[in-house]
Amino acid sequence: MININPNDKKKPDKRMTLTDAIKTYVPDGSMISFSGMGGAQCVAPTYEIIRQGIKKLTFVGDSPCESGDMLIGAGAIKKAEIAWCSYAVAGLGYNYRRAIEQKIPHEIELVEYSNYTIGLRFLAGAINVPYIPTKSLMGSDLLKYNEKIKVEEDPYNGEKVALIPAVNPDIAIVHVSRADKRGNAQMFGFSSNAENLARAAKHTIVTCEEIVSTEEIQRHPNLTIIPEYAVDAVVEVPFASHPWNFPYAYAYDMPFHTEQLAAFKTREGFEKWLEDYCFAPGSWEGYLEKVGYGRLEKLRQLERRFTKAKY
Amino acid sequence: MSKEYAQDYSLQELLVAASAKEIMDGDVVFAGVGVPTLGAMVAKLTHAPNVIMAMESGSIGPQPYRVILGIGDNACVENSICTTSLWRLFSDQQRGYFDVGMIGGAQVDKYGNLNSTVIFGEGDYYTPASRLPGSGGANDIASSAGRTILTLPLQKRRFLEKVDYITSPGYIDGYDAREKHGLPGGGPAAIITNKCVFRFDPTTKEAYLYSVHPGVTVEEVKAEVSWELKIADDVKVTEPPTLEEVRITRILDAGQIYTGSGLKGLTFEKYVQMLETSQEILHQLF
Repeated sequence: MININPNDKKKPDKRMTLTDAIKTYVPDGSMISFSGMGGAQCVAPTYEIIRQGIKKLTFVGDSPCESGDMLIGAGAIKKAEIAWCSYAVAGLGYNYRRAIEQKIPHEIELVEYSNYTIGLRFLAGAINVPYIPTKSLMGSDLLKYNEKIKVEEDPYNGEKVALIPAVNPDIAIVHVSRADKRGNAQMFGFSSNAENLARAAKHTIVTCEEIVSTEEIQRHPNLTIIPEYAVDAVVEVPFASHPWNFPYAYAYDMPFHTEQLAAFKTREGFEKWLEDYCFAPGSWEGYLEKVGYGRLEKLRQLERRFTKAKY
Repeated sequence: MSKEYAQDYSLQELLVAASAKEIMDGDVVFAGVGVPTLGAMVAKLTHAPNVIMAMESGSIGPQPYRVILGIGDNACVENSICTTSLWRLFSDQQRGYFDVGMIGGAQVDKYGNLNSTVIFGEGDYYTPASRLPGSGGANDIASSAGRTILTLPLQKRRFLEKVDYITSPGYIDGYDAREKHGLPGGGPAAIITNKCVFRFDPTTKEAYLYSVHPGVTVEEVKAEVSWELKIADDVKVTEPPTLEEVRITRILDAGQIYTGSGLKGLTFEKYVQMLETSQEILHQLF
């Protein structure tokens, strides 16, 4: 294992390959979080973590798709603190189901929250306070099965509130539209909780569709969701969310996703998928080549018909 | 203005229209993917042009020229008025800005408590017969939205005296239980099913049969509910979809992803064509 340098956040050039970034910042046993919400998912880093055979991760996230379900299926996750795990319209989280219902490939420890309260955990972590009170979860069974959440009386008005504990993951991986080599990360479109993940985590890998110059970042500073001082590594990974959509970049590849999830229905199908799309191609570039650049370009074209970022 | 009702429509199209009718002009709507989103889009393109859709990923007020395929789909960003962060959007809901939330689940009870987490079967939470995706944002919507509309298929195994697990609180055990538990939102206004619509007694907060869909009998509904169901004195027939609602639904979901089995055999070419066609037609209309 490579030792993590505490001064990495000060480096003027943080560019790395995806392989090296994962190798450096994601040792076995890490607590890890990913950006993305029903789209804009961190699919490329998920595949890389599986390829490197990383194990015993504690996963903290709101509603993961590939990063939750596939890492669970690959046996990389020991504990999941999440609100939901599935894929919505195209199919269900079959690996997650198999892990809970049949302990395949092995048992995982599960602690459940809601999307908002996971978001509050990152916010609390990002602003360095121990917890944030909320009115969510009251009267539900989430409280019954999650002993971390305390219901207390607010000391000012005596109202009941649920206290949501902060989280500071070892590593956050966030995917954004563009970044410079110092790690200033800009996003076109929704940011899920990316800005808080990056600030809360001990180390942050920013992956981006495109690396741009610092001058380009400075032209539109209001688009920056994460400043360089919260970032350890910058990786350029085009189409990192495929088959998901990425705002202003490429449309959702729903037919591909439907086929992928049909394969995930059985354990054998999932294992074959990993062999064909994760291990055999050897890299994210290999995956994209297998999907086909013609198809990817079509998804880009398709999105341009509907949305164009004017910058 | 007199309404022209459709004669020829599918059950799914009726459900989309029924969801749309629950939305009032000017509402801020927290819509999950599927029939509710389609309903919210149909509402926006018919009787409620000032609807603002709030999408869980952090997109607010989209006006897409294509069907929304996920809560973080690019269609949620298209012509939106604001793209922000997930926690920010949910905070706006907790602050009280969202009028209506639409949620589904696998089980519901007579107080509108929903379960989308786990089916115990012979086991329990830790060793369930069936693991479902979980709360996602549903608990937060149920807690804080001004009112909620629940949608699920009417089946005896789903309509239970008591759900296995309360993911999203309705009226908990009735009367003023929501206030006692400190929940800011108003609670469920209706349950829309494939056979009927339920509403809730203003005092006891128990669900009662409000309307049956055309061709459905009260007895059929009672047979699919596990508790002793209360029936409105004047049970109505659910208003059928209008011609306009059906027309818009068919343009938006031309690929029948939500209103049919369009996902099966959806080739890449057909998919691209579906999106391009919807854009062309909707641009001509709106």
